[in-house]
Amino acid sequence: MNRVSTVGGPLLEVENLTVSFPGRRGDLRAVNGVSYSLYPQQTLAIVGESGSGKTVSCRALMGLLPPAAVVAGSARFQGAELLGLTDDEMRRHRGTNIAMVFQDPSRSLNPTMKVGNQIAEAVRVHRRVSKAEAREQAIELLRLVHIPVPGQRFHEYPHQLSGGMRQRIMIAIALACRPKLLIADEATTALDVTTQAQIMDLLLELRAELGMTLMLISHDLGLARSCADEVIVMYAGQIVEQASTPQLFTRVRMPYTQALLEAIPRLERPAHSPLPVIGGRPPDLSALPAGCSFAPRCRRAADDCRTTPPPLAEHEPGHRWACWHPIDTGVA
Amino acid sequence: MTSGAEPLLSVRDLVQEFVVRDYGGVKGGVVNAVSGVSFNVWPGETLGIVGETGSGKSTLARSVLQAPRPKKGTVTFRGTDLVTLSGSRLLQARRHLQMVFQDPFGSLDPKWKVRDLVAEPLIAYRVGDRAARRHRVDQVLELVGLDPAAHGGRRPRELSGGQAQRVAIARALAIEPAMIICDEPVSSLDVLIQAQVLNLFEQLRAELGLSYLFIAHDLALVKQVSDRVAVMYLGKLAEVGPGEAVYRQPLHPYTRALLDSVPGAATARAATTIRGEPPSPIHPPSGCRFRTRCPRAEQRCADEEPAMRELATGHSVACHFPLVPVAEVTVRSEQKIGETP
Amino acid sequence: MSAPLPDLLPAPDATPAAPVRKKVRGRASTLRIWIPAGFLILLAFACFIWPQIYPVPKPVGGSILEAGLPPLSPGHIFGTDPNGNDVLSRILYGGQVSFEVGFSVTAIGLVIGGLLGMAAGYWRGVTDTSIMRVLDVLIAFPALVLALAIAEGLGPSEPHVIWALAIFSIPAFGRIARSGTLAIREQNYMLAARLSGSRGRHIILRHVIPNILPQLMTFALLGFGIVIILEGALSYLGLGIPLPEPSWGSMIAQGQQVLSATPEQALIPSAFLFATVVALNLLGDGLRERWGVR
Repeated sequence: MNRVSTVGGPLLEVENLTVSFPGRRGDLRAVNGVSYSLYPQQTLAIVGESGSGKTVSCRALMGLLPPAAVVAGSARFQGAELLGLTDDEMRRHRGTNIAMVFQDPSRSLNPTMKVGNQIAEAVRVHRRVSKAEAREQAIELLRLVHIPVPGQRFHEYPHQLSGGMRQRIMIAIALACRPKLLIADEATTALDVTTQAQIMDLLLELRAELGMTLMLISHDLGLARSCADEVIVMYAGQIVEQASTPQLFTRVRMPYTQALLEAIPRLERPAHSPLPVIGGRPPDLSALPAGCSFAPRCRRAADDCRTTPPPLAEHEPGHRWACWHPIDTGVA
Repeated sequence: MTSGAEPLLSVRDLVQEFVVRDYGGVKGGVVNAVSGVSFNVWPGETLGIVGETGSGKSTLARSVLQAPRPKKGTVTFRGTDLVTLSGSRLLQARRHLQMVFQDPFGSLDPKWKVRDLVAEPLIAYRVGDRAARRHRVDQVLELVGLDPAAHGGRRPRELSGGQAQRVAIARALAIEPAMIICDEPVSSLDVLIQAQVLNLFEQLRAELGLSYLFIAHDLALVKQVSDRVAVMYLGKLAEVGPGEAVYRQPLHPYTRALLDSVPGAATARAATTIRGEPPSPIHPPSGCRFRTRCPRAEQRCADEEPAMRELATGHSVACHFPLVPVAEVTVRSEQKIGETP
Repeated sequence: MSAPLPDLLPAPDATPAAPVRKKVRGRASTLRIWIPAGFLILLAFACFIWPQIYPVPKPVGGSILEAGLPPLSPGHIFGTDPNGNDVLSRILYGGQVSFEVGFSVTAIGLVIGGLLGMAAGYWRGVTDTSIMRVLDVLIAFPALVLALAIAEGLGPSEPHVIWALAIFSIPAFGRIARSGTLAIREQNYMLAARLSGSRGRHIILRHVIPNILPQLMTFALLGFGIVIILEGALSYLGLGIPLPEPSWGSMIAQGQQVLSATPEQALIPSAFLFATVVALNLLGDGLRERWGVR
């Protein structure tokens, strides 16, 4: 794993980020007071199920939320505030500072345009270069993402490429202007396991080569474990646990994280063994329960859990959690 | 595990192809989705089929159900070859074979209510009268953990993903099938709900003695749920064997690559042992289809297609250079070589 | 064994599945449906029910002595036409014709065309090819020319207009029904229905029809408006409803002859024709938006 330097301050500092959507039955709090710091060259994984708020919080950073969304709090990129910027101001950040790779490359790529041109277009959006120069850079980027015969592949259309290739194109587009931070939002979820491994290898390699910071958003804890330095676990719009990867997986504290870990099928497990499950479903985000959001489903819940929400605090060095009755002896 | 002399489902040399049309309707090529697959499933057994995109596993599932009919091969279910049947005879023969799909919302008619959805097979196969059917619907909804009173009148859009999938399972159970084909049944569900539904499958298996043909792209998932595991690549079976054996002693390089690619393995991440991109099913490589990505490929792999050979008890592989040298493994003599796994 | 499996919460139920499945509801959307619908209902009431309960002057057989009265004359709110007939009355009875023709043609198209289209789309193969060829032949006939031929040959009358326009309407609905059926045919729930043992006819009735009905209904409303215009055109040309029976189209034709002297003779039926068709279009659009039809 990477030795992260905390010198020079955080690259990204998120403070009390809140995103809500107006709804018929009350406001839907997709993100409910999220705070964290991201340091240069770190690989942070934000993990959660659907509805946890992980995707919405990152879209807020990029200014990609629908106009109906109400965003509050602060997110500072190298000191500059990201929230509440105009489209023009945001565009300056996108590409040069922060870039994002999404889940489904077939939806993000223009099917009528050659892939090489789409990369070149990304280059020219942020830099004043000639068409020929942009083309050169595009071919260079194709090479960077390990697409064989880049000069030839430049002229192909998205439908001629496999899913893994298309995702590499998306990465090339995202890297067009050497962003300092790359956010991969479920970037490998739609890919096969073997392709996923290749793309993750590529991202980590690029991180090292370009000195990038990487933020991985996923529902896959296993992916976080193998690729990230630091893991944040989100539930019902809040951070419930954060720690470095080895710490999180060997000394898990939050019962929700433990439930996630236990519920994943593992090769070592014998066949037909029942998976430890917890009942229930994530809470309705427009009607969050008083107290801890996870309490209705938690085996360890006590009365204080149901009345007062536990604060997220650094109870151990490098390990934050929000739980009144954390697990004492963590088991991976 | 395996009991009885006759397999419940016996598939032989199944071939399924699709014609790809270019502009103007001209035949542009043929997708060899399934190219000669053979396997058995015994009563009470779960056979898992693991494969990635383009492996043909979903097409295999549908071909077994004759939707559409395979181009070649036989599908013998409970002693009857489904390929030779059509119309009501096919419906009768296929009655005890049901399917659960990947997308729960796509497999439930959005305009129907839960109760009607579950009752549909009962009505189609004319089981009982209205009262008996209603009773059965309630029974089967409870079996999958849903409350008939609370959920019976709802439409799919009023359900969560996990609940919708339970409805699909309930519908499959309504007419007491012997076997359920599950095509990625939990892939679109969240981790915790996924675990709940998997446990449901296990519970039903134990209570009702069901067999499953369980198809997924997640090797750990398939192994968890199955007695035997078959690995599929580009329309062919690469390896078949007991789940533990395939995991501990994979014989096919592709199986090895799948195992290495599983993220978060307890050991440090092994370098991926697979190269390049999956080839197109319209122009599969000659000989062994995996050879273009295999680190062990040699000339023989391009010239000659490897046959499925049984190298250990119940553990077969289709490879010229399996990961365990043939000499080290007990090779059965006589006709065992070439027998369908 | 593990604990019971429900993922029920004791809390509020009917938690929606995914936030994507929001229907477009809201006051504006409801108004967009009910304002045109209200207008049409009022108009239908005026045309069909009102003359039954209130003595309206007869639309034909007027006295020449009363010809050409301007609007707002006593007893004739819209005035009288060159033959002395009360214009309002002719509007109302002409409206009956418009509604009758529109409804009949649309209904015939919907039922016959819809069934044919669904059969073609569901069973494909020979059924599809043969049905579509027949529909292609029908659609190849230019509607007005055909109506002209029928009118010439058999004489103009309301039933003839209906059949002439139905020949145009059936293939139109047929195509919509077929494409809608094709679109849902590959859905997994259709396959699931077949695997559950349901047969073709049952699947068409219980699965296909409910799912393509929104498409068909919105198309029907738009088609209704088109048919009314076509009927108006035919009557304008003298090929539709024969005089002296009233029809908005023939009234426009008559009014055209006295356009400079009494423009309202042409403008009033035109206005009604326009308003009715616009209302049908708006209603169709509003329903399409509400039901999420593309």
